[in-house]
Amino acid sequence: MLHYFDAAIIGGGVVGSAIARELSRYELSIAVIEENPDVVCEASGRNSAVVHGGFAYDTGSLKARLCVEGNRMMDTLSSELGFRFIRCGKVLVGNTDEDLKQLERTMAQGKANGATGLELIDSAKLHELVPAVNGSFAMFSRNSGIMDPFLFTINLAENAVMNGARYFLSHKVISIARKDGRYVVHTEADDFSVKWIFNASGKGAKAISDMLGITGYRIIGSKGNYLVLDKRLGPLLPMPVYPVPSNTYMGIHVTPTVDGNVTVGPDAVNTDDFSYYGVPADKMEYLRESASTLWPHIDKKDVIRTFSGILSKWVDENGVIQDFKIEVRPDLAPCAVNLIGIESPGLTAAVPIARYAISLMAEYTSLKEKKDFNPVHESAKRFAEMDTAEREKAIKADCRYGSLVCSCEKVTEAEIIRAIHNPLGVHTMTGIKYRTRAMMGGCQSGFCQMKIEKLIEKELGIRPEDVRYLRTSSWVLSGKMREG
Amino acid sequence: MKKTFTCIICPNGCSLDVDYDGQNIIVKGNLCKRGEIYAKEEIIAPKRTISSSVRLIDGDMEIVSVRLSSPVPKSMIFPIMEVIKKTRVTAPVHIGDVLIHDVLSTGADVIATRNAERRS
Amino acid sequence: MFEKKDVVIIGGGPAGLSAATALYRLGVKDIVILERESKLGGILRQCIHDGFGLQRFGKSLSGPEYAQVFIDEVIENHIEYHTDATVVTLAPDRRIEAVTPEGVLSYSARAVVLAMGCKERSRGSIMIPGERPSGVFTAGSAQAYMNIYNRMPGRNVVILGSGDIGLIMARRLTLEGAHVAAVFEIQDHPNGLERNIVQCLNDYDIPLYLKHTVTDIHGNSRLEGVTVSEVDDSCVPIEGTGKIYPCDTLILSVGLRPDNGLLKDAGIEIDPRTNGAIVNEHLMTSIPGIFSSGNVLHVHDLVDFVSLESEALAESVSRFISGTLSHDRDISVKCGSGIGHTVPQRVSSGDGFSLSLRVSSVMNDVVIKVRQGERDILQRKMRKANPAEMIRLDINSGTVLPSEDLEVLVE
Repeated sequence: MLHYFDAAIIGGGVVGSAIARELSRYELSIAVIEENPDVVCEASGRNSAVVHGGFAYDTGSLKARLCVEGNRMMDTLSSELGFRFIRCGKVLVGNTDEDLKQLERTMAQGKANGATGLELIDSAKLHELVPAVNGSFAMFSRNSGIMDPFLFTINLAENAVMNGARYFLSHKVISIARKDGRYVVHTEADDFSVKWIFNASGKGAKAISDMLGITGYRIIGSKGNYLVLDKRLGPLLPMPVYPVPSNTYMGIHVTPTVDGNVTVGPDAVNTDDFSYYGVPADKMEYLRESASTLWPHIDKKDVIRTFSGILSKWVDENGVIQDFKIEVRPDLAPCAVNLIGIESPGLTAAVPIARYAISLMAEYTSLKEKKDFNPVHESAKRFAEMDTAEREKAIKADCRYGSLVCSCEKVTEAEIIRAIHNPLGVHTMTGIKYRTRAMMGGCQSGFCQMKIEKLIEKELGIRPEDVRYLRTSSWVLSGKMREG
Repeated sequence: MKKTFTCIICPNGCSLDVDYDGQNIIVKGNLCKRGEIYAKEEIIAPKRTISSSVRLIDGDMEIVSVRLSSPVPKSMIFPIMEVIKKTRVTAPVHIGDVLIHDVLSTGADVIATRNAERRS
Repeated sequence: MFEKKDVVIIGGGPAGLSAATALYRLGVKDIVILERESKLGGILRQCIHDGFGLQRFGKSLSGPEYAQVFIDEVIENHIEYHTDATVVTLAPDRRIEAVTPEGVLSYSARAVVLAMGCKERSRGSIMIPGERPSGVFTAGSAQAYMNIYNRMPGRNVVILGSGDIGLIMARRLTLEGAHVAAVFEIQDHPNGLERNIVQCLNDYDIPLYLKHTVTDIHGNSRLEGVTVSEVDDSCVPIEGTGKIYPCDTLILSVGLRPDNGLLKDAGIEIDPRTNGAIVNEHLMTSIPGIFSSGNVLHVHDLVDFVSLESEALAESVSRFISGTLSHDRDISVKCGSGIGHTVPQRVSSGDGFSLSLRVSSVMNDVVIKVRQGERDILQRKMRKANPAEMIRLDINSGTVLPSEDLEVLVE
């Protein structure tokens, strides 16, 4: 089937969804074309979930500028979109004279970048902020924070949908052709005829760029592995603790999550396989050892999960990591905004990146604002966060609030069912997980996955063998045991 | 013929030494009489029991759990499974109800092991 | 707002049911059972294999049949229970809130019985390396899919861990037409009962490889295979021994842990050895009036012992309510050489009690001793002691003196 749209955004991750949401402010028809069955399958859902201060990037770079902007607007975004963001601050801890010099340089750079709330603190202040940390002094970044990267991305996407954008999930782009002043985007499923293209495809950005005719970019993958620790540890870590950074790498850090877990990571290993997320045994041990020099509470017994993410970095011929590249190349690909090398701090900077990309488009075409754009994504309060009176009220209104499906994370049937009928049409098990936190607790889905699988079957009227876990062919069950 | 078995009758898992001369069977190592009976059977014609599920129609769940009322020759287990897989029963069903009588003429019944009410 | 109850029992599985029926028999009738599933019975509902009840009833029952004996008694005696009732709050002052489709139930209890059972160790908790495809199940989840929900987890199966549920599932999957390639166990001895090795693996020609473990998981979507390696004497994989087994399903039977989330909320002291509450000989936790038994206290091998323990708990709860539970000393039970853990961990009176323990490794021809100072209170000779089997010792009343700590050790 051939669809006509004004603009197609290739890639529905945090940057693609931010572009979709920001572009839905204007009188345009918008398609988001995403190869996965959900929007948080790659880097957008596989990161430290830290909102960066903007001090770690070269002054004058897009990374620095857009990160500082993103940091500033995060409170507004959080209240508009209803994802959790905690401006908890973070510390970069050091011990040696060399560390101190590096932190002073980082601070100076941060100030030049416009980052605020940076100060060097002594051991006493450091231990007041993070009691158990190992370190003699630190740079404290008051405005850094942590967020829920899943709901940030998902709610950007859902808000875009509310404002008229359409998502085409499980649509892998195969080729792009330029014909009669329009692009035809050919995918494994449908085809799209569009005036404008945004290449926001993260790890696939080089391939799409090549299809557009903008060739020659060199991209390397930097893979980072993480451990996830039990919620027992969250209360012991008030803010992320980082080592002293090098120019290109933040170092293995320990980070509280907005839900009270702790993540440990990432290491950084170059890779050219952008689809291999396996976590090797030696890396797990390395993470534990390395992070234990910062924070003493890391015990194998508390590990509930591991994961990894891959940053797509644009490098020059010498392998030196470059800035974000956000461009329109009228000579090679008119009416296409090409985003290359969107790595960290892409999560923090997603909305400023989107606005910047749209401003490039606006140089070529006039954009008319919609009157009825609604920036607010209405989210129901989580049952887990309600008090008793609120719970009573919720159950009275809908008795399915009284059925706890995931008892570790206190997620109710009402919330699962709402998540199954999400506006993007995501139907995977992990789709429910990222939207509700069901299956993320201590038992790691041992007790609740069967109930969730059954609800997906029932609500969508599909067979057990058609339920998927994360990706297109990730079947969960081979079928019924007894038919009939 | 001398053989050593692990008794599977109860979780004690006694190690049984069995001496069989073609006529008499001598069992040692058993903590109880059931072990002796098991060992004698095991050396001549081993028997097993199985548990499974039968499709339940109009019930509170899609299936009802079942087991055999007595052990059957090992060789009969897969044939009996084929019968169990094809069987459908209608709720209600109660513990001990015979769902398949004398399955494949083994003398064992397939009996329900839970109370399954009608779907409300 | 808070309904007053003599006893609130959290969990309607074997421990909770046994405690409730025993309390009723002892005349404590103002009780309520809160069960989060839609039916009473707990994990026994999905354990449809037989072998339950040999100790308690002298015959071999399936899990649902064993549970029904107690459920019938609950119903006959009109003991109050709520299903679909998940406890979300347990406060140290013994106030409890449970969520149900009818609303929030709030209780203020004179005594609380923690009987929530256990959870399985997951892939994350044993840190299996590799990718994260679908098709990796804990044995209990696979068992629930099959025995409760009528769903097949997969067709070509590898099982990691020789715990009993894993062995039972090897047979169950085979009978349902799946191919079980092998069971791998990291230790040098099987973790499950010998009878299950015989009737679940040997009968179906399923090989068991000791000192092997899964060292990599392959597949970006659905599981495509696992790498299995041999391990050395300290359970570390030996490089170069890896072998790939193609499969679409990996079943993990790698251990159980008390489901202790609520204990943490209430601030109950937890024993890092058992992951359950620290209790005294009356099975009372560090918070007066809160008791615990069954798999949430320490993981048992046999449900029969869960029932026995919960019936002993009922005695203590009954005495606590009538104010006759003695507490005249505070003695620790220490784990000496060769002992993995004990329950209870404390002794507060001269009452007799049952001491449960596990040894820390497989040992032959040993003597297990309970010692107080220089004095041996009890000795048990054992031909074979295995961590997979819980050992119970009866300590008679009056044998523990008020003074020194107890030590349990293997010689």
